[in-house]
Amino acid sequence: MNKYIILTFIFISITACDKSAKPINYGEDQCDFCSMGIVQKTHAAQLVTEKGKQHKFDAIECMVNFVKDKSGKFNNATLLVVNYNQPGKMILAESASYLISKNLPSPMGAYLTAFASVSDAEAAQEKLKGEIYQWDNLKKVIKKDIHKIH
Amino acid sequence: MKFSLFIFCFISALNYAPAQNRTIEVCAKDCEFSSIQKAVNQAQANDSIFIQKGIYKEHNIFINKKSLHLYGEEGSVIDSEYKGYGFKVEATDFSITDLTIKNIEVSYTSDYAAIYLFRCFDFKLKNITLRNAFFGFLIEKSRNGFVLQNDISGTGDSEASSGNAIHLWDSKEIEVRDNHVYNMRDGIYIEFGSNNIFDNNDSHDNMRYGLHFMFSNDNRYSNNSFRNNSAGVAVMFSKRIVMYNNVFKKNWGTASYGLLLKEINDAEIYNNTFEDNTVGITTDGSTRITYRENDFINNGYAVIFIGGSYQNNFIKNNFLYNNFDLSYSGGLNDNSFDNNFWSDYTGYDLDKDGYGDVPYRPVKLFSYLVNNTPESIILLRSLFIDIINFSEKVTPIFTPENLTDQNPLMRKVQW
Repeated sequence: MNKYIILTFIFISITACDKSAKPINYGEDQCDFCSMGIVQKTHAAQLVTEKGKQHKFDAIECMVNFVKDKSGKFNNATLLVVNYNQPGKMILAESASYLISKNLPSPMGAYLTAFASVSDAEAAQEKLKGEIYQWDNLKKVIKKDIHKIH
Repeated sequence: MKFSLFIFCFISALNYAPAQNRTIEVCAKDCEFSSIQKAVNQAQANDSIFIQKGIYKEHNIFINKKSLHLYGEEGSVIDSEYKGYGFKVEATDFSITDLTIKNIEVSYTSDYAAIYLFRCFDFKLKNITLRNAFFGFLIEKSRNGFVLQNDISGTGDSEASSGNAIHLWDSKEIEVRDNHVYNMRDGIYIEFGSNNIFDNNDSHDNMRYGLHFMFSNDNRYSNNSFRNNSAGVAVMFSKRIVMYNNVFKKNWGTASYGLLLKEINDAEIYNNTFEDNTVGITTDGSTRITYRENDFINNGYAVIFIGGSYQNNFIKNNFLYNNFDLSYSGGLNDNSFDNNFWSDYTGYDLDKDGYGDVPYRPVKLFSYLVNNTPESIILLRSLFIDIINFSEKVTPIFTPENLTDQNPLMRKVQW
């Protein structure tokens, strides 16, 4: 009997602290930064806090601004972005490469797209032109009123 | 006299000139052409191409810098067979009318459209029926066009695999009138577009928004109907938008609005009807907006304020039978409510001047409760909540002092 109680506790403790990213429900979920419906599997992003709270975004620029707005609060959060070459598949934001190209619009006007590797980004850059960034310098480039540059 | 004769000759010469333009016929057999693309390639500028009844299995029909007028008749159908675009056009002074285009390819990474316009000026798209469209009309960097009387629908499968019916990107001075758009992602979408007019369109059952503005200033929309969309209209990051005579109806769902205003300013909203929506209007960070002579009927919330929304004026609106007239987060404000009719108003008018003698407070204490604990909505219509709201009415503690309608109307506004 005792065994079952222990097993139950282990089960609860494992499931209760599920910090993995929950899939985005495209077409139903809303962006936590700009309130827009999330539809584009090529540009979505996601943040999971260390306690497991999910934040979902319709565009990578929204997540960048969301993190910047509350500086320090999400230091231990898991940041994920969609890989443009595999729509709907999430990759770690820190390890992704980013292309800002006027020829590839993103939902919130920053023209920002993520790729799994630098070589993928460079392949896209060859076709679409633009600049390649890494996550750390992305925060400096993306400003809240990025669309005003247009 | 001589001079006027010259003018006469000159004008007649002008009138005769177009007569030289040919009309090329396209049909399945016994015509000059059986392929639309070949007809387009052979045509001279200003020619017309008449597409006879029949099904044409063509895609990516490319019109490159040629002023042409394509028209069909009932039963002229272009079937793209889910391969790429229907038409791709870069031209000045051209038109496409009276056609049906169907089966456009769906893609996550390319925006395939039934008709794709790039750098087009002085164009007309009229009376076109699109079926199984991914994107309907995708109009980029264009100006001075008319999009009239079209009927556009998608598969309506899932939001992510459908595009927008009419999508304007970086385009100006385009009139979008009398269109019927449904089962798409957004009915009509405008990104970086100014001075456009959207009039008398019927946009319903779309999976995201009926009409959607992003980074677009100085547009107006009027006489449209937005029903059963996930949200009726979203106006985001835009200035000086004029909205009147529209109907926002039955936009239901947990994250649903009649109208969403996000970071916009200097807009005018008048003579609209918001009926049976989860939320009539959600306004987030929007300032200097005038709301005049609108009807808010039977909504969950009539208006929700979030974020810093300042200097908004509500004048002569009817708030009829909404569960909550107003929800407000944040403290002091300089928004004004004056001369509105509130169906919940229980005051009196002893001096018979048409205005209630005691001010009306549109924010109920219970709406604060629901804001903090959404589950408490289950208590709606209970005696307990009536008592709470009544006590708040008698001695207001939570509602901001200046959030009152000092002159509530005793009768409905007629507009």
